[in-house]
Formats: sequence, structure tokens, C-alpha cells
Amino acid sequence: MRSVYPWPDMPVLSLLVLWLITQVLLYAARVPIHRALRKMGTAVGGGLRMVARWLRSTADELRRRNREVLLAAGRLEAEAKLEREFPRLATTFTADLKQYPALHRRLDESVKRIEEDLKASSLTPPEAPGWPEAVQAVANMPKAGDRTVQKVLDEIHRSALASEKKALQEYREAMARRHKILAESASLWKVILGVLAQVNKAVTGALDASSRIDGYMEKYEKIRNGEDAAERLLGASALNLFVISLFVVSVAGFGGLVNFQLIARPMSELVPGGGYIFGMPISMIAALVIVLMEVVAGIFVMETLGVTHLFPRLGGLSPSRRRIVFVVALVGLALLAAIEASLAILREQLMEADKALALALAGEAVRGKETVAAPLLSRIPMLGQAVLGFILPWILAMIAVPLEMLVESGRHVIGRALALVIRGGGILFRLLGHGVRYLMAAVAHVYDIYIIVPLQLERLVRSHGAEGPAGGAAIRNPAERTGPVRVQR
Amino acid sequence: MRARAAAAVGLLLACACTDSRSYAHATCVLVDVSGTYADQRDQVVRILRSGLLPTVRPGDSFTIIRIGDKSYDERAVEASVTFDSQPSRANAQKLALAGKLDRFAQSRAHAARYTDISGALLLAVDHLRETRAGRKSIVIFSDMKEELPPGSRRALGPGEFQGIDVIAMNVKRLAGDNLDPAGYRHRLGEWGSRLTRAGAASWKVVLEPEELAQQFARE
Repeated sequence: MRSVYPWPDMPVLSLLVLWLITQVLLYAARVPIHRALRKMGTAVGGGLRMVARWLRSTADELRRRNREVLLAAGRLEAEAKLEREFPRLATTFTADLKQYPALHRRLDESVKRIEEDLKASSLTPPEAPGWPEAVQAVANMPKAGDRTVQKVLDEIHRSALASEKKALQEYREAMARRHKILAESASLWKVILGVLAQVNKAVTGALDASSRIDGYMEKYEKIRNGEDAAERLLGASALNLFVISLFVVSVAGFGGLVNFQLIARPMSELVPGGGYIFGMPISMIAALVIVLMEVVAGIFVMETLGVTHLFPRLGGLSPSRRRIVFVVALVGLALLAAIEASLAILREQLMEADKALALALAGEAVRGKETVAAPLLSRIPMLGQAVLGFILPWILAMIAVPLEMLVESGRHVIGRALALVIRGGGILFRLLGHGVRYLMAAVAHVYDIYIIVPLQLERLVRSHGAEGPAGGAAIRNPAERTGPVRVQR
Repeated sequence: MRARAAAAVGLLLACACTDSRSYAHATCVLVDVSGTYADQRDQVVRILRSGLLPTVRPGDSFTIIRIGDKSYDERAVEASVTFDSQPSRANAQKLALAGKLDRFAQSRAHAARYTDISGALLLAVDHLRETRAGRKSIVIFSDMKEELPPGSRRALGPGEFQGIDVIAMNVKRLAGDNLDPAGYRHRLGEWGSRLTRAGAASWKVVLEPEELAQQFARE
């Protein structure tokens, strides 16, 4: 600071002179400086506002595109569901309801047979009229003295008894026949119940399918009309899917890491060489490639099975070619799993050798041999690693499904997040623009405060001049002409 | 044709991705066999076997040089091994080197009269340069008191130790150091400034073998 003093030995005087010089200079430069500040505020603030507007429009455009993509994806999904449901409904109608005429005929026949049986059971033989009374009357007749008459009467009584017995027998036989008919018709009721159950099942299935289709159609209509509710629903669904699939893929990633650790050490034996790629030994990269190849083979298996649709070209292959790809991918996966299991066994042996070496180098070879675990126990981790090495590739192969879900839902979620970030950036730039304008205005005020003395003097001169005869109307204050920097909203 | 083009592109990419940087670690161990330090051989071999050798990786190189009367001589090299890139073979080489170290510890050759530390350091630098390793280290087992034979000239030129880490391990305190520790500290400080002037990447005095192992295990 002292270096700018005109007289370093007299700081007070130097400061006073400097203050006076700056007062004069700044007062003289007040108008252009205010103008420059205002222009700067307008230029920088305007530029920032333009950036903010551009960011906002970009965010809107991104959001619109996201919405289009989301609705298109939702429409495709709804169409796919409908496409799946229509064959199901057709199957229900063709398979189940096709049998309905036959069922109806069987029902009709059964009902007719029941009617006939009921009719047959209602035809009863007439009861023998008055036989018991006749027998009783003959039995109650007084004994005649004439033996011939008596004999005739006995004969009449006997024949009446025989007739009564015969009539009773016939009646009982008729009743037995009726009971038999009714008993046989019971099986018909069972048939009718079974037929009715089948009809009920077929009709219920058809009704369920049609109500499901109604629901899908309703959703489809909403999506096609681009309703906000449909967009919100699809957005929430995509977010859920993204979180779940991200979690599953992360778990699978950790599985892959375990898998990698399992084969990294033995791979250094199989792929020796001092080469490095991006700071990683080639043996480690080879292990990584094996793990990734398992994932790729799994993706191909899932793709050819039709579980995922990541590669449309694979989906468009003829069934025979798809089968070939499927078999190749499956065999490749099995081979990789087998290789990994063997590498896991090798790993255990190498680890034991490393341990033995460490003990030998430490001069504890004898003690090391004593502390080696019993063979049975030492085989358990080896077997465990081998099993793990065989199973992990198959588990990794399943990653195709969550991966597809992640890709599909990630497109929307990331797009939405990006739109939010851009919009946030727009708000920030807008605020910055306002901030710059207010800052320029504040700087102009501070400038005026610093040269308050000459400004007040100018005011005094102006007020005296205004009181004069021809005075001050002609003298205009340059400061007032420019005025302080105003913030334009 | 297309397959060939794809293979060629793949090969080009693989070559382009291959890292030309060397990740090997070359270590030169200088062991003082002069009279004042001769009794430390067993201790030195123990530290090398349990502390240093386990940290050596496949592809690394390891050289042991004696610090004696005239150490800037190939005959001062006790052992020099470049480990195979296959871990199991490297392990076998480690065992063989450990055997050599044991024989070195048991050999009761008469102690050297002089302590040519600078000569051993210069020889170590020559060996390290030859390895073209990405990381180079010198470990000195000595009392760090140099006594050059008459007529010897040893100057550590600037940049001589460029990119080399130098560690002084198991520095024995002499009888005079016990009376005046400042002498010990001055000796080590002098070596540190000499080596730093000669371009050494770092200079460190390590007391514990575990610390040495950690230094080498750290990449």
C-alpha cells in the first residue's frame, strides 16, 4: 500500500491526496461507469436468462420425449398383454365352450331320461279292490250245517285268500320296480351336476378373460389418449421396476465379483505373462472375460428361450436356428461352469501351496506341516469352492432378465432425472442472472456512496443555480440524467 | 472377408489397449559384510525371508549385493533372480533363493575390512536400470558408516538414482552412537541428503521388518 503513496514519509497527507484524486476522477467518470455497469448487468444477466430459457425448453423437450417413449412403451406392453389374452380367450371359447353343445345335449338327454323315469315310476298297479273285505266277509259267515255249502264257502275263502296274496305280491313287485327306476335316476342327477360344473367353469373362465381384457383395454385406451393418469401410472411402474432390477443386478454383480475372485488366482497360472492392460494383469482380464462370457451365454439362452427380447434379430430367427443358438449357448455355459469348477479346485491347491511357501520362507516348514488340517477337513472347502464355481455361472446367467428390465426402465428413469437436472440448472441460471443484475446495481450504489462528497457539492451548486433568475432549468445534473443502475425485471 | 477384417480390428484394439508401462518391481538388497556388521547376517536373512520375499510378485526381480571392500564389482553380486510370470514357478524360485540366502547366512567368510556402500549403491543402480522395471528399490542392511579402501573414488552423480526408492533397514548403532546419538542421526541424514541430491525418489529409514514388508506390499 505504501508503494502508491506519493510521499511515503507522510502517510496522512498521501492518503488525503490520493482520496482527492480518486474523488475527482471517479466523479468525472461516474456517468460512463454507471452506463458500463448497467450494460454489463444487462448483458451478463440477459445471457444467463437466455441460457436458463434454453435449459428450460430443453428440459421440456426431454420431458415430452420421455413421455412419448414411456407411453409408446406402455402401449406396446398393453398390446402385448392383449395379444397374450386374446389367444387365451380364444382357447377358452374354442376348447371349453366348444363342448357346450355336447354338454347341453347330454344335459337334455339326462333330463329326458329323468322325466321318463319319473313317469315310469308314477305308473303304479291298482290296488286289488275289496279283497280283504271279501275275505273277511267270507271268513265271518256262519258255519252252515250243510257240508256241501260249507265246503263251497271254504273254497271261496281259500281262493279269496290266494287272490289277495297274489294281488299283494304284484303290488310289492311294482313298488320295487319304481324304487329301482328312482335309484337309477340318482346317477343321472350326478351326471347333470358334473355337466353343470363344467359349464360353470367354462363360462367363468370366459368371463374372467373378458374382464381382464376389459381392464387392459381400459388401460390401453388411457395410454393411447395420452392421459396424465396413464403417464403417472407408467412412470411409477417404471421407477419400481428400475429400483428392483437395479437391486437384483447389483446382487448379481456381487455374485460376479465372488466368481471373479474364485478364478483370478488360478487364471494367473493358466495365463502367465507380464502383460498389463489399463494397469490390470492379463490373467485377471482373462478371469473377467470368463465371468462376462458366462453372462453373455446366459443372455443368449434367455433370448432364445423367448424370456427376454434384448436382441430383436435373435427373436426373428427361424425356430430351428434359434434352437441351434440355444444349444450352443447352453453348451458354452455348461463348459464354462465346468471350467470354473475345476479352476476353483485348482485355486484351493494353489492357496495351500502359497501358505506352505509362506511358512517355509518364515522358517516354520516343520510346524507348518503339523498345523495342516486333516485331509477330510481340507477337502470340504475345496468341494465347496468347486460347487460354488459350478453354480455361480448358472445364477449369473439369470442376470439377463433383470438386465432387460433395467435397460427398459432405466431409459425412462434416467431421462426423467436428466430433465430434472436440466430444469434445476435452468432455475440456477435464472437466479444467477437476477443476482448479476442486482450486484451491478449494488456496485453502482457503492460507487455513489464513495463519491458522496462531490455529489452533495453538485447538489448544493444545482440548488443555488435553480434559485437564480434564468438558473438551473438549463443546468441538468448529469448524475440524475444517468441515475443509479436500475434492476430490470 | 468381413470376419478377417473384424479379427484385424480386434487385434489392433487389443494391441492399442495393451499397457506398455512396466509394472514389475526390481529390488536390490545391499548387505554389509564388513567387520562391524558381520554378526547381523542371520538377522538380515531372517528379515529377507519373512519380510521381503513373500511380497515379491511374479515378474519382479531381486538382487543381493554384498557391501565389502570393493563393492562396485560383479563379484559382489550374491544372487540375482528375475521371477517367472507363472506364480507357481515364481514360488519355486523363491524357495531356491531362500536356500541361497541360508547358505549366505551360514558362510563364515572373513569379514571385509572396508565398507564400500557407494560402490554397492552404484552397482545396484546398474542392475536396476538393466531390469527396466516400473518400480525400483534399494534396501540397505548396514551400519551406514562408509569406509572406502585407499585410492577409491565414489561420486553419486545427479540423477543417478532417478526414480529409485532407497530404504535403510536394520541400521546398526555403533559403539560411538550409544555415547552420542547425534552421530548416528547425522550419518543417516548425510546419506539421505546425498541420495536425494543424486535424484532418489525417496529415502527412508525403517526399523521394523513388518514396516518394510508393508512398504513393499504397497503399490
